[in-house]
Amino acid sequence: MTTVDIATVLQEADLVVTCGPGGVGKTSTAAALALAAANSGRRVIVVTVDPARRLADALGIDGSAKSHDPSEVIGATSHPTGSLWALMLDAESTFDRLITDRAGDAKRAQTILANPIYRSIAGSLGGAQEYMAIERLHQLWSSNEFDLIVIDTPPSRHAIDLLGAPDRLVTFFSHPIYRIIAAPGRSFARVTNAGSATFLWVVRKLAGPKVVEDIIEFFRSLSGMEAGLRQRAAEASTLLRAKTTAFVLVSSPRAEAIDEAAHLADALRDGGFPLRAMVINLVHPTPASIDGEDIPADLAPGPLADQFALYRDLTALAHDEAIEMDRLRDLADDVALVEVPLIDDIHDLDGLAELGTHLLLNAHVDLA
Amino acid sequence: MGPGRSTPEWLGRTRVLMVVGKGGVGTSTVAASLAVLAADGGADVLLVSVDGKSGLGPLLGGTPLGPDEQVLRTKAHRSGAGRIRGRTITPKQAFGDYLELKGFGGILRRAASAASLDLIAGATPGMEHLLVLGKIKELDRLQSADLIIVDAPPAGHATPFLRSASALQTAVASGPVRDQADEVAALLADHHRSQCVMVTLPEETPVNEVIELAYDLEDELSLALAPLVVNGCWPDRPGLSMTAAAAARKQKITLSVATRRALDDVARFGRARLDMQLEQFARLDDRLPLPRIQLPRLPVARLRPEHLDVLAEALAAEPTVPAGVTK
Repeated sequence: MTTVDIATVLQEADLVVTCGPGGVGKTSTAAALALAAANSGRRVIVVTVDPARRLADALGIDGSAKSHDPSEVIGATSHPTGSLWALMLDAESTFDRLITDRAGDAKRAQTILANPIYRSIAGSLGGAQEYMAIERLHQLWSSNEFDLIVIDTPPSRHAIDLLGAPDRLVTFFSHPIYRIIAAPGRSFARVTNAGSATFLWVVRKLAGPKVVEDIIEFFRSLSGMEAGLRQRAAEASTLLRAKTTAFVLVSSPRAEAIDEAAHLADALRDGGFPLRAMVINLVHPTPASIDGEDIPADLAPGPLADQFALYRDLTALAHDEAIEMDRLRDLADDVALVEVPLIDDIHDLDGLAELGTHLLLNAHVDLA
Repeated sequence: MGPGRSTPEWLGRTRVLMVVGKGGVGTSTVAASLAVLAADGGADVLLVSVDGKSGLGPLLGGTPLGPDEQVLRTKAHRSGAGRIRGRTITPKQAFGDYLELKGFGGILRRAASAASLDLIAGATPGMEHLLVLGKIKELDRLQSADLIIVDAPPAGHATPFLRSASALQTAVASGPVRDQADEVAALLADHHRSQCVMVTLPEETPVNEVIELAYDLEDELSLALAPLVVNGCWPDRPGLSMTAAAAARKQKITLSVATRRALDDVARFGRARLDMQLEQFARLDDRLPLPRIQLPRLPVARLRPEHLDVLAEALAAEPTVPAGVTK
């Protein structure tokens, strides 16, 4: 049985990571938890990856103008010491800044930033975006400006990528091909070790000689920054598994979402990430039971038949959803689990506050 | 049902169908229902999952999809009906197939496909996506099915996926990757060979996202858009606008207080959902000039194979066309 509640989890954490399948209200949940913590007097920042426009508006972060710095959500809380801040993550600019900070001199930074290989990696590929989310998190953490950081992750499969990003970066720098190509003092022509030669030969065959030159140049320009990047990655990896970090898994009661959430719960445990709470969002309400004798079996079409049809649908749906939710509940033996009713599109602070109430209340979803 | 249900014109004229939408809107459900509809019309259908999702298999009564083709419905399922097969395509798998096709030798192929895909893909923008699309193009070229239905990555990831070919045409001047990009771009641009089915829900955020997606796909990438599928629509029940007492009087039935109260709560909930839905339909009318098909919300949390028939039936309907839009 569940012994902890989500309010306690929130209170004891200084880093909350929300994750789960797409379309279940992860971002709203992250923002609502952050708001609740701000209302309890803490200085809180919510970091989102890709908020829906109306939610971004509510948090005062403009989708078209991603900012690198947190902005305070004005009027979020009336608590004297509490405050809510928001930040929308822009992986590309984080990566650029990291390169600029670490490259040592401006010319070298410029070379890296202009390299087409770097541009494609920084843009969206190779897990760089995920890694940069973690990097930014690490920066916020080290700044000590906030009592609590709530970070929202991309939908499940990508969340696992995100959490594994620091470890992957370390693996990448240990890759033999990387080590050979990046080793200083060898000209392009002399990169002749069997492994790298095969690799470069394949790339040349597939994508042409220019791409090969770019790759070599890119790896070379990264060398020297490697130690720093590796250390950051290792620190981020430790931070994600810290005792005061709480993963909150968000799902809906639909079977596909529950399947993904269950899979994600396993992946989190396997990865040593502290799963502390599960939220089942968008739960349809269970109608109150009615006197069966009231409705004749041969009810003719009409307004009462319409109402009764919806009554039957909602009752069946609630029953079906309960079965699915039990599957997740079975996995939640030592974590908080809360059901949250379907609330219409959340687009302002009041909506987030309402969601927060449901999150912390932890009651069965009845229709009334 | 079955053979009596005719394949809609828009579905019958295409060979490759990409089903795209935000996470959670039900693209897999729609992909599977379209497969049922096309197969009932006699087509031999291949369902392809590209985002690592294997759930399409069980949804059609089979086992989870894997890299090997699986027959999900045989021809004998109904007389006159076509078969449905399913499989996944991952970049790694597509890369191996591609090297084989291009005649790369065994040892090099193993070396290349085992160790370096991440690096090669990282080094070449859109390469992973292109490999998957290239494999789909290859399946189409080999005429391995009458219709290939692709359960595409969720919106946000769909645009880079479909854009990969044109992006690589810009980045790579020559060589096999360029040839592959050219051929994939040709498939996507050929409105007789491929179309995109966008899926959304009658809710504010999914509607906003599908509007953006439509402009990305059509204006930027010049893809042919099939009718928009609005999944999860509550059935319109006019009786919900009455109190339970009035509804009962009208049907000459007496209700207990508890029953009246329960039904009033149900009707209030239903009205709120319907109002929200109508608001979203109006927004789609205004902002997305596309024919539209509505799928009913089924009162279940887990869809089973028999539910796909209900959804296929709804997909067979003539799409509604917003006022002021010429077809």
